[in-house]
Amino acid sequence: MSTPFAAIRQHALRTLQSPWLHPLNDTDALNELLGSLNPRWSLTEVRAELSGRRAETPDTVSLEFRPNRLWNGFAAGQHVTITVDIDGVRHQRVYSLSSDPAQAERLTLTVKRQPGDRQRTSVSNWLHDGLRLGDVVTLSAAAGDFVLPGAARPALLLSAGSGITPMRALLHALRQRAAAGTFTDDVVLIHVCRDRADQIFADELAALVREWPALRLVAWHTASRGRPTVAKLLEAVPDYAARDTWLCGPATFMADVEAHWQAAGLAARLRLERFGLAPRVVEGAASAEIRCERSERLFTAGAGEALLPAAERAGLKPAYGCRIGICRTCLCRKRSGTVENLVTGEQSSEPDEWIRLCVSTPRSDLQLDL
Amino acid sequence: MTRKKLSRTDIAGLQADLDAVRDSVMSTLGDKDVAHIRKMIRRARGSAIAGRTMLGLGFDPVTFVVGVAALAHAKIVENMEVGHNVMHGQYDWTNDPSLNSLRYEWDNVCDAGMWRHFHNYEHHTYTNILGKDRDFGYTILRLSDEQKWHPFFLLQPVWNAILALAFEWGVGGHDVQAERFLKGEMSFRQLAERSKPFHRKIRKQLVKDYVLFPLLTFWNAPRVLLGNLLANLIRNLWSYAIIFCGHFPDGTQVFSEEETRDETRGDWYYRQICGSANIEGGRAFHILTGHLSHQIEHHLFPDMPAHRYAEIAPQVQAICAKYGIRYNTANFWRQYGTVLGKVFRHALPSRRANAALAQA
Ligand SMILES: Cc1cc2nc3c(=O)[nH]c(=O)nc-3n(C[C@H](O)[C@H](O)[C@H](O)COP(=O)(O)OP(=O)(O)OC[C@H]3O[C@@H](n4cnc5c(N)ncnc54)[C@H](O)[C@@H]3O)c2cc1C
Repeated sequence: MSTPFAAIRQHALRTLQSPWLHPLNDTDALNELLGSLNPRWSLTEVRAELSGRRAETPDTVSLEFRPNRLWNGFAAGQHVTITVDIDGVRHQRVYSLSSDPAQAERLTLTVKRQPGDRQRTSVSNWLHDGLRLGDVVTLSAAAGDFVLPGAARPALLLSAGSGITPMRALLHALRQRAAAGTFTDDVVLIHVCRDRADQIFADELAALVREWPALRLVAWHTASRGRPTVAKLLEAVPDYAARDTWLCGPATFMADVEAHWQAAGLAARLRLERFGLAPRVVEGAASAEIRCERSERLFTAGAGEALLPAAERAGLKPAYGCRIGICRTCLCRKRSGTVENLVTGEQSSEPDEWIRLCVSTPRSDLQLDL
Repeated sequence: MTRKKLSRTDIAGLQADLDAVRDSVMSTLGDKDVAHIRKMIRRARGSAIAGRTMLGLGFDPVTFVVGVAALAHAKIVENMEVGHNVMHGQYDWTNDPSLNSLRYEWDNVCDAGMWRHFHNYEHHTYTNILGKDRDFGYTILRLSDEQKWHPFFLLQPVWNAILALAFEWGVGGHDVQAERFLKGEMSFRQLAERSKPFHRKIRKQLVKDYVLFPLLTFWNAPRVLLGNLLANLIRNLWSYAIIFCGHFPDGTQVFSEEETRDETRGDWYYRQICGSANIEGGRAFHILTGHLSHQIEHHLFPDMPAHRYAEIAPQVQAICAKYGIRYNTANFWRQYGTVLGKVFRHALPSRRANAALAQA
C-alpha cells in the first residue's frame, strides 16, 4: 500500500470514528448487527468458528478454528487471547497457537483440562465440554516473542506437559525452512510428560521424525523414570550449549532449567514462554492491608504475594485472563500505596495509576478501586 | 407523618430475610439475564432505526406519527431498561465492556459520570433524607410538610410542568448544583467547572438529534427535527411520571439526618422500603418503566438485574407483612394522582407535622 493512500485511509478511519457521528458509527451496534447476519462477521474483531476438534490425550484436545478476514496470521511460537461467554460471564484466556503458521485459513489451539472438581468456571474445561462445532469465539491478534530468529542455528526445544503446544508450531516453521533450504541444522525436542498416553502430539511427531531425519525426539516419561533433574535430561543433548533453546512448561520445571542456563552463562540463548507466573522471591516484603473502595472490602496480601490470588482468597472476583501480566484483563486503578511488579521488579507509588493485579505485589498498604 | 418503630430484633430479622432474597437471585445470575439485556438493547436499536428511517425518508403524516412513536419507544427502552440499569452496575458481573457501568453512556443530555455520582451515590445512599437526598423534590419542589416553605413554591404546579417536559435537562443539570450558586455557596468559576461534562453532553445530544440526523436527509430536515424533538418530549414526560410515582405518592416517607446516623443495613433496607412506592402493571409495562415500577425492589437491591424484580416482589411483600411495614403499591393513576395532589397541596405553607424532621 502506497504511503499517501495509507495516510488518507488513516485519516478517513479517524473521521469515521468521530464522536459527532454517533450513533452512526457505533461499532458495538454495527458488530452486533453483522454478527446477527453471520456470527463470524465483525468490523473490528477476529471472530473464529470452531471447525474441528481432535482428542490428543485423555485430557487434552486440539481445537481447530476458522477465523474471519481480520485475522492476520501468526509467527510460530506466538499465543492468542480467546474471549468466550460462559453462562453470561465473559472470560479471556491465553493459549499458544499449536498449528502450522503457513496455514492462513485455519488455526489450532491445544487445550489441557484443569484438574479437580472446581467451584469456579474453568475456561479450559469449558472449551473441552461446552464449545460445540460451529460455535464462534473472539480472538485477539497473535502476540509474543517466543519466535524463531531470522537466521537459525541448531535448535533445542525443551517442554513439559502442555508446554509442547507452541513447540509444534515452531517445528512446523523449522521444517518449512529446512525444506526451503534456509535451515540446514538439526533440531532436538525434549519433552517431559507422565507416560506415552499422556504425550501430546505423540503419533504426529513420530511421523514427522520419520520423514525429517534432522529432527530428534526425546521423550521422558515420569511414570516410569521419575522426575528428571536438568542434568539428567540434558545427557541426551551434550551440545546443548551450542544451541538456541526454547523452553515452555510448568513454572517449577522452567525455573530449574532457567537456573541451569544462567549458571552456565547461557541465559541469552534461552527463550521462554510462561503459562504461569515464575516463582519469585521479593526482598524485604511484608504482608499488607488492601482496602477496596467499590466493594468496601478489606483483605490482606501475604509477603510477596500477587494481589489477584489474595483478592480471590478474600472472596472477590476480579476479571482476569493470563495471570502473568500480558493480557491486561485484570487492570485495576490503584488509589494510593506502593506496588512492585513481580515480573520486572519495578516499584511505583503514583496515586490513581492503573496496575495489573496478577503481577503486582504490595510494598505498602493499598487502596484499590475494586 | 408517623411510622412504625421497629425493634432492633425486627431490624436484624428484616436484614437477614432480605439478604436471603438477594442471595437467592445473585447466586443464579447467568445466561438468561444477559439474554434479556441484549434483547432489550436490540429492541431499542431496532426501534430507533425504524423510527429514524420513517422520519427521515417518509413524507406522510402516518409515518411521521409512527416514526415519532418508534423513536420515543427506543429512547425510553434505552434510557430506562438498558441505560439506567446497566449504569447501576447490574450487569458488571458479565465482564462485558459494553455492559459495564463505568463505560456506558446513554441517549439523553445527562452525562453518565455525573449521573453515577448524584443518582447512584447520593440518591441511593441518602434516599429521602431531607437535606441530603437532592432528588427529593429535585430542590425545586416542596413535596412534604417537613420541607421548609418559601414563596417560590407557590408556583410549583408550573415548575412541576416544566420539569416534566424538560425532565432530561433537569436530571442532566442536577449535579451542577446551581442552587448552591444562587445561594452564594459556589463561585461562578466553580459552577462553570462543574457544568463542563454537562455542556459536553448537551452538545453531543443536540448535534445528534438536531443537526446530524436532520442533515442526513436534508430534504426532510424540518420533519426530522420536529420528530426528534417530540420523541425527546415523550420520553421526558414518561420518565418523569414513572420516577415521581416511585418516590412521591402518598405514603412515602422522609427521614432526618439525625435518625439515620448509625444505620445498619437493616435500617437502611427499612428506609428504602418506606421511601419508595411501586406501580402495578403487566410485564410490558414494567419493561417500559425500566422496572422502576418495582421501585421498592430497586431501592433494596439497586445492583440486581432489574428484570428479576417481578419474581422477588411477592417475597419482599411477604417480608414487609411479617414485620408490619407498609408495602406501597397501587396502579399508575392512583400513584400519580396523589403525587399531583402533593404538588398542589404543598405549594401553600403548612404546619410541620414532625418537629424532629423539620428543616432549619
Ligand atoms: C502465554 C500462555 C500460553 C498458554 N498456552 C496454553 C496452551 O497452549 N494450552 C493450555 O492448555 N494452556 C495454556 N496456557 C494456560 C492457560 O491459559 C491457563 O491454563 C488458563 O488459565 C486456564 O484457565 P482456566 O479458566 O481453565 O483455569 P483457571 O480457573 O483460570 O485456573 C488457572 C490457574 O489460576 C489459579 N486460580 C484461578 N482462580 C483462582 C482462585 N479463585 N484462587 C486461587 N487460584 C486461582 C489456579 O492456580 C489455576 O491453576 C497458556 C498460558 C499462557 C499465559
